[in-house]
Amino acid sequence: MRRGRVDRTLVVAGLATIALGTLLLLDRLGSLDLRFEYAVPAVLAAIGIVLITAGLS
Amino acid sequence: MSEAVELRRDPSHGYLGGVCAGFASRAGIDPILIRIGFIVAVAIGGVGIPLYALGWVLIPAEGPEKPAVQRLLTRSDTWLVAAGMGCLVAAGLLLLRAWDVWFVSDQILWPFVIAATGGALIWRQSQSAPERVAERAKLPRHTVNRAAAGAALVVGGALIFLYVNDALAPARDVVLPVLVMLVALTIILAPWWIRMVRGLADERAARIRSQERAEVAAHLHDSVLQTLALVQKRADDPREVAALARRQERELRAWLNNTRPLGEATLAGALEAAAAEVEADHHVPIDVVTVGDGPLDEPGAALVAAAREALVNASKFAGPEPISLYAEMADGRAEVFVRDRGPGFDVSAVPQDRRGVRDSIVGRMERHGGRATVHSTPGQGTEVELVMEP
Repeated sequence: MRRGRVDRTLVVAGLATIALGTLLLLDRLGSLDLRFEYAVPAVLAAIGIVLITAGLS
Repeated sequence: MSEAVELRRDPSHGYLGGVCAGFASRAGIDPILIRIGFIVAVAIGGVGIPLYALGWVLIPAEGPEKPAVQRLLTRSDTWLVAAGMGCLVAAGLLLLRAWDVWFVSDQILWPFVIAATGGALIWRQSQSAPERVAERAKLPRHTVNRAAAGAALVVGGALIFLYVNDALAPARDVVLPVLVMLVALTIILAPWWIRMVRGLADERAARIRSQERAEVAAHLHDSVLQTLALVQKRADDPREVAALARRQERELRAWLNNTRPLGEATLAGALEAAAAEVEADHHVPIDVVTVGDGPLDEPGAALVAAAREALVNASKFAGPEPISLYAEMADGRAEVFVRDRGPGFDVSAVPQDRRGVRDSIVGRMERHGGRATVHSTPGQGTEVELVMEP
Protein backbone atom coordinates (compact mmCIF):
# COMPACT_ATOMS: atom_id res chain seq x y z
CA MET A 1 0.00 0.00 0.00
CA ARG A 2 1.39 3.39 -0.97
CA ARG A 3 1.46 6.26 1.47
CA GLY A 4 1.83 9.94 0.69
CA ARG A 5 4.16 10.99 -2.12
CA VAL A 6 7.79 11.51 -1.17
CA ASP A 7 10.27 13.66 -3.02
CA ARG A 8 12.56 11.04 -4.47
CA THR A 9 15.16 13.60 -5.49
CA LEU A 10 15.56 14.79 -1.91
CA VAL A 11 15.75 11.22 -0.61
CA VAL A 12 18.43 10.27 -3.13
CA ALA A 13 20.34 13.50 -2.50
CA GLY A 14 20.27 12.76 1.23
CA LEU A 15 21.46 9.21 0.70
CA ALA A 16 24.26 10.40 -1.59
CA THR A 17 25.35 12.96 1.01
CA ILE A 18 25.30 10.28 3.71
CA ALA A 19 27.41 7.98 1.51
CA LEU A 20 29.95 10.73 0.82
CA GLY A 21 30.04 11.65 4.48
CA THR A 22 30.61 8.03 5.41
CA LEU A 23 33.52 7.84 2.98
CA LEU A 24 35.09 10.97 4.45
CA LEU A 25 34.53 9.67 7.97
CA LEU A 26 36.16 6.35 7.17
CA ASP A 27 39.06 8.24 5.63
CA ARG A 28 39.37 10.36 8.75
CA LEU A 29 39.27 7.28 10.99
CA GLY A 30 41.99 5.68 8.92
CA SER A 31 39.83 2.78 7.80
CA LEU A 32 40.00 3.97 4.22
CA ASP A 33 42.60 5.78 2.17
CA LEU A 34 40.46 8.20 0.17
CA ARG A 35 42.85 9.71 -2.32
CA PHE A 36 41.99 12.58 -4.65
CA GLU A 37 41.69 10.38 -7.73
CA TYR A 38 39.04 8.29 -5.94
CA ALA A 39 37.25 11.19 -4.23
CA VAL A 40 36.55 13.04 -7.47
CA PRO A 41 34.80 10.09 -9.18
CA ALA A 42 32.79 9.48 -5.98
CA VAL A 43 31.58 13.08 -5.90
CA LEU A 44 30.84 13.01 -9.64
CA ALA A 45 28.90 9.76 -9.25
CA ALA A 46 26.86 11.21 -6.39
CA ILE A 47 26.02 14.30 -8.44
CA GLY A 48 25.15 12.15 -11.44
CA ILE A 49 22.79 9.94 -9.45
CA VAL A 50 21.00 12.97 -7.98
CA LEU A 51 20.67 14.60 -11.39
CA ILE A 52 19.28 11.43 -12.97
CA THR A 53 16.78 11.04 -10.16
CA ALA A 54 15.70 14.67 -10.54
CA GLY A 55 15.31 14.21 -14.28
CA LEU A 56 13.23 11.06 -13.93
CA SER A 57 11.03 12.32 -11.07
CA MET B 1 -9.42 -17.43 -28.75
CA SER B 2 -5.89 -16.72 -27.61
CA GLU B 3 -4.47 -13.24 -27.66
CA ALA B 4 -0.76 -12.42 -27.68
CA VAL B 5 0.24 -10.76 -24.39
CA GLU B 6 2.49 -7.76 -24.93
CA LEU B 7 5.69 -7.77 -22.87
CA ARG B 8 5.37 -5.20 -20.09
CA ARG B 9 7.04 -4.70 -16.75
CA ASP B 10 4.88 -5.35 -13.71
CA PRO B 11 6.22 -3.16 -10.89
CA SER B 12 3.19 -3.89 -8.67
CA HIS B 13 4.22 -7.57 -8.47
CA GLY B 14 7.98 -7.07 -8.59
CA TYR B 15 10.71 -6.26 -6.10
CA LEU B 16 12.66 -3.78 -8.22
CA GLY B 17 11.33 -2.73 -11.61
CA GLY B 18 9.01 -5.68 -12.24
CA VAL B 19 11.09 -7.00 -15.17
CA CYS B 20 11.04 -10.64 -13.97
CA ALA B 21 7.34 -10.41 -13.16
CA GLY B 22 6.69 -9.00 -16.64
CA PHE B 23 8.60 -11.82 -18.35
CA ALA B 24 6.79 -14.40 -16.20
CA SER B 25 3.43 -12.90 -17.09
CA ARG B 26 4.37 -12.92 -20.79
CA ALA B 27 5.53 -16.57 -20.62
CA GLY B 28 2.66 -17.61 -18.37
CA ILE B 29 4.90 -19.10 -15.67
CA ASP B 30 5.60 -18.42 -12.00
CA PRO B 31 7.82 -15.31 -11.53
CA ILE B 32 9.99 -17.22 -9.04
CA LEU B 33 11.39 -19.30 -11.92
CA ILE B 34 12.52 -16.19 -13.79
CA ARG B 35 13.98 -14.77 -10.58
CA ILE B 36 15.98 -17.93 -9.97
CA GLY B 37 17.34 -17.63 -13.51
CA PHE B 38 18.23 -14.00 -12.85
CA ILE B 39 20.06 -14.86 -9.61
CA VAL B 40 21.99 -17.61 -11.41
CA ALA B 41 22.92 -15.14 -14.18
CA VAL B 42 24.17 -12.71 -11.54
CA ALA B 43 26.14 -15.43 -9.77
CA ILE B 44 27.96 -16.66 -12.88
CA GLY B 45 29.56 -13.39 -13.83
CA GLY B 46 27.04 -10.67 -13.17
CA VAL B 47 25.58 -10.60 -16.68
CA GLY B 48 22.09 -10.54 -15.17
CA ILE B 49 22.55 -7.06 -13.74
CA PRO B 50 23.13 -5.15 -17.00
CA LEU B 51 20.43 -7.25 -18.67
CA TYR B 52 17.97 -6.36 -15.91
CA ALA B 53 18.90 -2.68 -16.17
CA LEU B 54 18.43 -2.84 -19.94
CA GLY B 55 15.00 -4.45 -19.52
CA TRP B 56 14.04 -1.85 -16.92
CA VAL B 57 14.94 0.97 -19.28
CA LEU B 58 13.56 -0.45 -22.53
CA ILE B 59 10.41 -2.35 -21.48
CA PRO B 60 7.39 -0.17 -20.70
CA ALA B 61 5.54 -0.70 -17.43
CA GLU B 62 1.91 -1.77 -17.17
CA GLY B 63 -0.52 0.96 -18.18
CA PRO B 64 -0.12 3.79 -20.63
CA GLU B 65 3.42 4.58 -19.48
CA LYS B 66 6.03 4.61 -22.27
CA PRO B 67 9.50 3.03 -21.97
CA ALA B 68 12.04 5.09 -20.05
CA VAL B 69 14.15 5.67 -23.18
CA GLN B 70 11.15 7.03 -25.08
CA ARG B 71 10.19 9.23 -22.14
CA LEU B 72 13.72 10.54 -21.93
CA LEU B 73 13.76 11.48 -25.60
CA THR B 74 10.54 13.47 -25.30
CA ARG B 75 10.92 15.07 -21.88
CA SER B 76 11.73 18.74 -21.59
CA ASP B 77 14.09 18.15 -18.62
CA THR B 78 16.12 15.44 -20.29
CA TRP B 79 19.18 17.64 -19.90
CA LEU B 80 19.14 16.76 -16.18
CA VAL B 81 19.34 13.06 -16.96
CA ALA B 82 21.90 13.67 -19.69
CA ALA B 83 24.05 15.72 -17.29
CA GLY B 84 23.72 12.98 -14.68
CA MET B 85 24.73 10.33 -17.17
CA GLY B 86 27.65 12.52 -18.20
CA CYS B 87 28.78 12.79 -14.56
CA LEU B 88 28.53 9.03 -14.11
CA VAL B 89 30.48 8.37 -17.31
CA ALA B 90 33.14 10.88 -16.30
CA ALA B 91 33.37 9.26 -12.85
CA GLY B 92 33.78 5.84 -14.47
CA LEU B 93 36.48 7.12 -16.81
CA LEU B 94 38.40 8.78 -13.97
CA LEU B 95 38.13 5.62 -11.89
CA LEU B 96 39.48 3.54 -14.78
CA ARG B 97 42.30 6.03 -15.11
CA ALA B 98 43.09 5.77 -11.38
CA TRP B 99 43.16 1.97 -11.68
CA ASP B 100 45.50 2.20 -14.69
CA VAL B 101 42.94 0.45 -16.84
CA TRP B 102 43.28 3.29 -19.28
CA PHE B 103 42.62 1.80 -22.64
CA VAL B 104 42.29 5.04 -24.60
CA SER B 105 44.82 7.81 -24.89
CA ASP B 106 43.98 11.22 -23.37
CA GLN B 107 44.68 12.74 -26.76
CA ILE B 108 41.75 10.89 -28.26
CA LEU B 109 39.34 10.49 -25.36
CA TRP B 110 38.80 14.07 -24.15
CA PRO B 111 38.28 15.61 -27.63
CA PHE B 112 35.86 12.76 -28.25
CA VAL B 113 34.00 13.53 -25.00
CA ILE B 114 33.71 17.22 -25.95
CA ALA B 115 32.50 16.40 -29.47
CA ALA B 116 30.05 13.81 -28.14
CA THR B 117 28.61 16.36 -25.70
CA GLY B 118 28.11 18.84 -28.53
CA GLY B 119 26.61 16.15 -30.75
CA ALA B 120 24.22 15.13 -27.97
CA LEU B 121 23.13 18.76 -27.51
CA ILE B 122 22.41 19.13 -31.23
CA TRP B 123 20.62 15.81 -31.52
CA ARG B 124 18.51 16.54 -28.46
CA GLN B 125 17.62 19.96 -29.81
CA SER B 126 16.65 18.64 -33.21
CA GLN B 127 14.57 15.75 -31.88
CA SER B 128 12.67 17.79 -29.31
CA ALA B 129 10.38 19.61 -31.69
CA PRO B 130 9.71 17.53 -34.80
CA GLU B 131 6.14 18.81 -34.94
CA ARG B 132 7.29 22.39 -35.31
CA VAL B 133 8.96 21.92 -38.68
CA ALA B 134 6.73 24.54 -40.23
CA GLU B 135 7.77 27.05 -37.54
CA ARG B 136 11.48 26.53 -38.07
CA ALA B 137 11.95 30.16 -39.00
CA LYS B 138 10.55 31.22 -35.62
CA LEU B 139 12.71 29.04 -33.35
CA PRO B 140 13.22 30.62 -29.92
CA ARG B 141 16.58 32.15 -29.13
CA HIS B 142 17.56 29.59 -26.49
CA THR B 143 17.00 26.80 -29.01
CA VAL B 144 19.34 28.45 -31.49
CA ASN B 145 21.86 29.13 -28.72
CA ARG B 146 21.86 25.49 -27.63
CA ALA B 147 22.29 24.29 -31.19
CA ALA B 148 25.11 26.79 -31.72
CA ALA B 149 26.79 25.69 -28.48
CA GLY B 150 26.51 22.08 -29.60
CA ALA B 151 28.00 22.91 -32.99
CA ALA B 152 30.83 24.84 -31.32
CA LEU B 153 31.58 21.89 -29.04
CA VAL B 154 31.65 19.47 -31.95
CA VAL B 155 33.94 21.69 -34.01
CA GLY B 156 36.07 22.50 -30.94
CA GLY B 157 36.42 18.82 -30.10
CA ALA B 158 37.38 18.06 -33.67
CA LEU B 159 39.96 20.88 -33.69
CA ILE B 160 41.46 19.78 -30.36
CA PHE B 161 41.68 16.27 -31.67
CA LEU B 162 43.46 17.48 -34.77
CA TYR B 163 45.79 19.69 -32.76
CA VAL B 164 46.87 17.14 -30.16
CA ASN B 165 47.39 14.61 -32.90
CA ASP B 166 49.55 17.12 -34.76
CA ALA B 167 47.27 16.84 -37.75
CA LEU B 168 47.02 20.58 -38.29
CA ALA B 169 50.63 20.90 -39.33
CA PRO B 170 50.62 22.13 -42.91
CA ALA B 171 52.94 19.45 -44.18
CA ARG B 172 50.97 16.64 -42.65
CA ASP B 173 48.49 14.51 -44.35
CA VAL B 174 45.31 16.51 -45.12
CA VAL B 175 43.08 13.51 -45.35
CA LEU B 176 42.62 13.05 -41.61
CA PRO B 177 41.43 16.59 -40.87
CA VAL B 178 39.11 16.54 -43.83
CA LEU B 179 37.66 13.25 -42.69
CA VAL B 180 37.21 14.46 -39.12
CA MET B 181 35.52 17.65 -40.30
CA LEU B 182 33.25 15.62 -42.54
CA VAL B 183 32.29 13.45 -39.58
CA ALA B 184 31.63 16.56 -37.48
CA LEU B 185 29.49 18.07 -40.26
CA THR B 186 27.59 14.82 -40.57
CA ILE B 187 26.88 14.84 -36.84
CA ILE B 188 25.65 18.44 -37.12
CA LEU B 189 23.59 18.10 -40.30
CA ALA B 190 22.19 14.59 -39.95
CA PRO B 191 19.49 15.54 -37.41
CA TRP B 192 18.20 18.33 -39.66
CA TRP B 193 18.22 16.02 -42.62
CA ILE B 194 16.30 13.38 -40.65
CA ARG B 195 13.84 16.00 -39.47
CA MET B 196 13.36 17.27 -43.00
CA VAL B 197 12.65 13.74 -44.24
CA ARG B 198 10.21 13.23 -41.38
CA GLY B 199 8.56 16.57 -42.16
CA LEU B 200 8.12 15.61 -45.80
CA ALA B 201 6.63 12.26 -44.79
CA ASP B 202 4.22 13.99 -42.40
CA GLU B 203 3.23 16.47 -45.08
CA ARG B 204 2.63 13.66 -47.55
CA ALA B 205 0.54 11.75 -45.01
CA ALA B 206 -1.53 14.88 -44.31
CA ARG B 207 -2.08 15.41 -48.04
CA ILE B 208 -3.18 11.81 -48.50
CA ARG B 209 -5.56 12.11 -45.54
CA SER B 210 -7.02 15.28 -47.01
CA GLN B 211 -7.51 13.64 -50.41
CA GLU B 212 -9.12 10.59 -48.87
CA ARG B 213 -11.45 12.77 -46.87
CA ALA B 214 -12.41 14.67 -50.02
CA GLU B 215 -13.05 11.35 -51.79
CA VAL B 216 -15.28 10.12 -48.98
CA ALA B 217 -17.14 13.44 -48.87
CA ALA B 218 -17.68 13.37 -52.64
CA HIS B 219 -18.88 9.77 -52.54
CA LEU B 220 -21.29 10.47 -49.69
CA HIS B 221 -22.62 13.48 -51.56
CA ASP B 222 -23.16 11.49 -54.75
CA SER B 223 -24.73 8.47 -53.10
CA VAL B 224 -26.31 8.97 -49.69
CA LEU B 225 -27.22 12.64 -49.94
CA GLN B 226 -28.66 12.23 -53.44
CA THR B 227 -30.70 9.23 -52.35
CA LEU B 228 -31.97 11.09 -49.30
CA ALA B 229 -33.05 13.94 -51.56
CA LEU B 230 -34.91 11.44 -53.77
CA VAL B 231 -36.51 9.85 -50.70
CA GLN B 232 -37.84 13.25 -49.64
CA LYS B 233 -39.11 13.89 -53.15
CA ARG B 234 -40.91 10.52 -53.34
CA ALA B 235 -42.06 10.31 -49.73
CA ASP B 236 -45.63 9.59 -50.90
CA ASP B 237 -44.58 6.32 -52.62
CA PRO B 238 -43.42 3.80 -49.96
CA ARG B 239 -42.43 1.13 -52.50
CA GLU B 240 -40.24 3.54 -54.40
CA VAL B 241 -38.66 4.75 -51.18
CA ALA B 242 -37.97 1.15 -50.09
CA ALA B 243 -36.43 0.36 -53.49
CA LEU B 244 -34.21 3.45 -53.26
CA ALA B 245 -33.09 2.47 -49.75
CA ARG B 246 -32.28 -1.10 -50.85
CA ARG B 247 -30.26 0.07 -53.83
CA GLN B 248 -28.40 2.61 -51.73
CA GLU B 249 -27.63 -0.08 -49.15
CA ARG B 250 -26.25 -2.40 -51.86
CA GLU B 251 -24.18 0.40 -53.32
CA LEU B 252 -22.76 1.41 -49.94
CA ARG B 253 -21.89 -2.19 -49.07
CA ALA B 254 -20.15 -2.64 -52.42
CA TRP B 255 -18.21 0.56 -51.82
CA LEU B 256 -17.23 -0.42 -48.28
CA ASN B 257 -16.15 -3.89 -49.42
CA ASN B 258 -14.43 -2.47 -52.50
CA THR B 259 -16.37 -4.76 -54.82
CA ARG B 260 -17.86 -3.89 -58.18
CA PRO B 261 -20.82 -5.55 -59.92
CA LEU B 262 -20.03 -7.74 -62.90
CA GLY B 263 -20.53 -6.01 -66.25
CA GLU B 264 -19.00 -2.75 -65.00
CA ALA B 265 -15.43 -3.85 -65.49
CA THR B 266 -14.85 -1.44 -68.37
CA LEU B 267 -15.21 2.30 -68.68
CA ALA B 268 -17.99 2.17 -71.28
CA GLY B 269 -19.92 -0.45 -69.29
CA ALA B 270 -19.64 1.58 -66.09
CA LEU B 271 -20.80 4.75 -67.86
CA GLU B 272 -23.82 2.95 -69.31
CA ALA B 273 -24.65 1.42 -65.93
CA ALA B 274 -24.39 4.81 -64.24
CA ALA B 275 -26.65 6.37 -66.89
CA ALA B 276 -29.22 3.58 -66.46
CA GLU B 277 -29.14 4.05 -62.69
CA VAL B 278 -29.70 7.81 -62.91
CA GLU B 279 -32.45 7.31 -65.47
CA ALA B 280 -34.22 4.85 -63.16
CA ASP B 281 -33.91 7.16 -60.19
CA HIS B 282 -34.95 10.40 -61.79
CA HIS B 283 -37.16 9.17 -64.64
CA VAL B 284 -35.39 11.39 -67.17
CA PRO B 285 -34.31 9.75 -70.46
CA ILE B 286 -30.57 9.63 -71.11
CA ASP B 287 -29.12 8.97 -74.55
CA VAL B 288 -25.78 7.21 -74.21
CA VAL B 289 -23.23 7.01 -77.01
CA THR B 290 -19.82 5.49 -76.33
CA VAL B 291 -16.94 5.19 -78.77
CA GLY B 292 -14.12 2.84 -77.86
CA ASP B 293 -13.51 1.48 -74.40
CA GLY B 294 -10.89 1.28 -71.69
CA PRO B 295 -10.14 -0.37 -68.35
CA LEU B 296 -11.98 0.82 -65.30
CA ASP B 297 -8.99 1.77 -63.17
CA GLU B 298 -8.99 4.34 -60.38
CA PRO B 299 -8.96 7.44 -62.60
CA GLY B 300 -11.60 5.76 -64.79
CA ALA B 301 -13.81 5.17 -61.76
CA ALA B 302 -13.41 8.83 -60.80
CA LEU B 303 -14.42 9.82 -64.35
CA VAL B 304 -17.54 7.64 -64.12
CA ALA B 305 -18.43 9.09 -60.71
CA ALA B 306 -18.02 12.64 -62.03
CA ALA B 307 -20.12 11.84 -65.12
CA ARG B 308 -22.78 10.30 -62.90
CA GLU B 309 -22.91 13.44 -60.78
CA ALA B 310 -23.24 15.56 -63.94
CA LEU B 311 -26.12 13.32 -65.10
CA VAL B 312 -27.84 13.63 -61.71
CA ASN B 313 -27.54 17.41 -61.83
CA ALA B 314 -28.88 17.50 -65.36
CA SER B 315 -31.79 15.20 -64.40
CA LYS B 316 -32.70 17.33 -61.42
CA PHE B 317 -32.49 20.70 -63.08
CA ALA B 318 -33.00 20.09 -66.81
CA GLY B 319 -35.65 17.37 -66.95
CA PRO B 320 -37.82 16.14 -68.53
CA GLU B 321 -35.93 16.89 -71.78
CA PRO B 322 -33.57 14.01 -72.74
CA ILE B 323 -29.97 14.25 -71.59
CA SER B 324 -27.07 13.31 -73.83
CA LEU B 325 -24.01 11.42 -72.66
CA TYR B 326 -21.24 11.08 -75.22
CA ALA B 327 -18.01 9.28 -74.33
CA GLU B 328 -14.94 8.65 -76.43
CA MET B 329 -12.10 6.45 -75.21
CA ALA B 330 -8.89 5.78 -77.12
CA ASP B 331 -5.19 5.26 -76.30
CA GLY B 332 -5.80 5.70 -72.57
CA ARG B 333 -7.44 9.11 -73.08
CA ALA B 334 -11.11 9.42 -72.17
CA GLU B 335 -13.48 12.28 -72.89
CA VAL B 336 -17.04 12.46 -71.64
CA PHE B 337 -19.62 15.12 -72.49
CA VAL B 338 -22.91 15.45 -70.62
CA ARG B 339 -25.32 17.85 -72.33
CA ASP B 340 -28.79 19.00 -71.41
CA ARG B 341 -31.22 21.51 -72.82
CA GLY B 342 -32.29 22.86 -69.46
CA PRO B 343 -32.38 26.43 -68.18
CA GLY B 344 -28.59 26.54 -67.60
CA PHE B 345 -26.95 28.47 -64.79
CA ASP B 346 -24.21 30.92 -63.99
CA VAL B 347 -21.20 28.80 -62.97
CA SER B 348 -19.60 31.64 -61.03
CA ALA B 349 -22.76 32.16 -59.00
CA VAL B 350 -22.77 28.65 -57.46
CA PRO B 351 -22.66 29.04 -53.64
CA GLN B 352 -19.51 27.87 -51.83
CA ASP B 353 -21.39 25.30 -49.74
CA ARG B 354 -22.69 23.41 -52.79
CA ARG B 355 -20.47 20.38 -53.29
CA GLY B 356 -21.99 18.98 -56.47
CA VAL B 357 -20.03 20.75 -59.19
CA ARG B 358 -17.07 21.94 -57.14
CA ASP B 359 -16.14 18.75 -55.26
CA SER B 360 -17.87 15.85 -56.94
CA ILE B 361 -17.05 16.88 -60.49
CA VAL B 362 -14.21 19.41 -60.77
CA GLY B 363 -12.38 18.50 -57.53
CA ARG B 364 -12.68 14.78 -58.14
CA MET B 365 -11.32 14.99 -61.69
CA GLU B 366 -8.40 17.16 -60.60
CA ARG B 367 -7.51 14.81 -57.72
CA HIS B 368 -7.14 12.00 -60.23
CA GLY B 369 -5.15 13.91 -62.80
CA GLY B 370 -7.98 14.92 -65.10
CA ARG B 371 -9.95 18.10 -65.68
CA ALA B 372 -13.56 19.15 -65.83
CA THR B 373 -15.09 22.16 -67.51
CA VAL B 374 -18.67 23.32 -67.16
CA HIS B 375 -20.04 25.35 -70.06
CA SER B 376 -23.38 26.86 -69.20
CA THR B 377 -25.31 29.95 -70.13
CA PRO B 378 -28.63 30.81 -68.50
CA GLY B 379 -31.41 29.78 -70.87
CA GLN B 380 -29.22 27.75 -73.24
CA GLY B 381 -28.51 24.48 -71.46
CA THR B 382 -25.37 23.07 -69.92
CA GLU B 383 -22.46 20.97 -71.13
CA VAL B 384 -20.05 19.28 -68.72
CA GLU B 385 -16.78 18.24 -70.34
CA LEU B 386 -14.68 15.65 -68.54
CA VAL B 387 -11.21 14.70 -69.78
CA MET B 388 -8.88 12.09 -68.31
CA GLU B 389 -5.42 12.07 -69.87
CA PRO B 390 -3.30 8.87 -69.89
